[in-house]
Amino acid sequence: MKTTVVGNYPKISSDKNAANLRNSLNTWDQKKITAEQLEKVYEETIKRVLKEQTAAGIDVITDGQIRWDDLVTPLAKNITGFEIGGLIRFYNNNVYYRRPVVKSRLSFKNYSAVEQFKFAQANSSKPVKVALPGPFTFAQLSLDEYYGNVEKLTMDLAEILHQEVRGLEQAGCQHIQLDEPSLCFNPDKVDLAIRAINSVFERVSTKKIVFLYFGKVGQVLPNLLGSSVDSIGVDVVSHPDNLDTVIDTWQGKEVILGCLDARNTKLEREEGIRQMVEKASKRVPLQKISLSPSCGLEFLPHETALQKLKLLADFARKLN
Amino acid sequence: MLLTTSVGSFPKPDYLVKARNRFAKGEISREKLRELEQQATRETIQLQEELGIDILVHGEMERGDMTTYFAENWEGFKISSPVRSYGNRYYRKPVVVGKLRRPKPTTVEYFQYAQSLTPKPVKGMLTGPYTMCDWSFNEYYRDREDLTMALAEIIHDEVADLEKVGAKYIQIDEPAISTRPEELDLAIKAMKVVTAGVKAKTISHICYGDFKLIYPKILELPVDQLDLEFANNKFMHLDIFKTPKFTKEIAVGVVDVHSHRIESKEEVKQNIKRALQLFDPQHVYIDPDCGLKTRTWEEAKAKLKVMVEAVREVKQELGLN
Repeated sequence: MKTTVVGNYPKISSDKNAANLRNSLNTWDQKKITAEQLEKVYEETIKRVLKEQTAAGIDVITDGQIRWDDLVTPLAKNITGFEIGGLIRFYNNNVYYRRPVVKSRLSFKNYSAVEQFKFAQANSSKPVKVALPGPFTFAQLSLDEYYGNVEKLTMDLAEILHQEVRGLEQAGCQHIQLDEPSLCFNPDKVDLAIRAINSVFERVSTKKIVFLYFGKVGQVLPNLLGSSVDSIGVDVVSHPDNLDTVIDTWQGKEVILGCLDARNTKLEREEGIRQMVEKASKRVPLQKISLSPSCGLEFLPHETALQKLKLLADFARKLN
Repeated sequence: MLLTTSVGSFPKPDYLVKARNRFAKGEISREKLRELEQQATRETIQLQEELGIDILVHGEMERGDMTTYFAENWEGFKISSPVRSYGNRYYRKPVVVGKLRRPKPTTVEYFQYAQSLTPKPVKGMLTGPYTMCDWSFNEYYRDREDLTMALAEIIHDEVADLEKVGAKYIQIDEPAISTRPEELDLAIKAMKVVTAGVKAKTISHICYGDFKLIYPKILELPVDQLDLEFANNKFMHLDIFKTPKFTKEIAVGVVDVHSHRIESKEEVKQNIKRALQLFDPQHVYIDPDCGLKTRTWEEAKAKLKVMVEAVREVKQELGLN
């Protein structure tokens, strides 16, 4: 059984000898180190994160989004028409992001993730997945002061993300994921979201993934199963009914079960994961199932994130 | 009218940051650290007096973080290694691993010390039960409600102890309260336990949330005053409080605590005037958006100075006294 991660990963290590990105960002902010010195620390950190996932035995890894403060601003900075606004809570977490504010018609300016992908893949023996904000979630997390029309905003973002995705594909990326947590909280907009997702992935031949986390998927998963994506990730921890939804509505696509709680330190028992997988496999063939944490691992302290990754990979190995 | 105050934390002077690091490594004693914490507290009180602030805070020089500090002092908690909350800001998150208990009053000593330095009122500063729950990992209690209510009992005892030693203003912060609007009833129920029978003025600071989701229900939170951020989002959510009428005292955040930029006096005056279009000046307090600990000492000072000057001029212009 394959394993993967959802996206972000703790930026600082519990190992005191590891490069300390937090300190380096502070000293850089105080102009005590140069941009080149900071860049070195970024690179070392990303290499460490790639290595830790690989060593744990995860099959499809990410660069941990080490250069990203949050899911949307790294892209918003490379899109004409956005300004970066004030801090606001990221869903129901004690984590905050700067809200992109739409000031004028949005258009693609620069690639955001392509160079980052190239660096990560060049330093990894495992395939590196890139997770981007899905067009619907991107629109929901932004403050619209221009369009006055969520559909137009979402579809313009889809067009911009499409260019990013084509850039990633050309750079050799094989796994591209759109994160759509907002869809869980706006199920009435599922048709718009699917249209936008299909538009992002149009004529794209990489593995096309959508991940839903933080909320209830009952009202959106059935429709999403009819979209053009190859694989759907579902957080089955935040809402206990989600696993049932997967089982009740599955038809053909690959499923990533986000089965380890990436928002609580309590370590899962293997027995619990086994029960979930057994339950899912009554409907979904085992070769169509892979396992992951419930969302990005950056909500956890580093040592717990690593423990959970090992737990996940060890369990998957036992199943094989 | 238009009394000035602060939300809670002040920047830690360099000597204190260093001392805290050295203490963590076991290089200096608890007594030495306390001495420097008191020195920084004195400087914080002095600064606020010099600037002419009306209701003071002690600056939280003894606290690393608004939840972790309590977790460190209460049984049943352990502390995680740092997790990131935004940008390059991290905090050590409390982990609930057993039944919670407060072995002795937690904040009384520092409150009394700060109050002894000034004739002006100093606020007692606490973190609310809902936020303590929301910002902790829970490995012990059955669910969020059980944990929140256990915390409410403990925080009530702390409020009672602060009142006993003379605190006239007690602030119980609930910045997490808008996180899950479906749990607002739980937060209100818990605050009822916290403020039961309390005569001191009670305040709750709430920030970085979507007020649309919790207004007007939040008016049921049993405190006298709500302290809200406005500057950070350019007063965009002021309109939310138009209807129904706001029925509590309000402290209005008029300077952004997350930017290095010092606002101009005109800008702050405008912010104050915008708030006065909606709220009755009798019930308005003026402060920064949030705690100042992420600013440098100079930035904090400059932001407070411009705030106090702006309030003074607005009062004159509008004939408020």
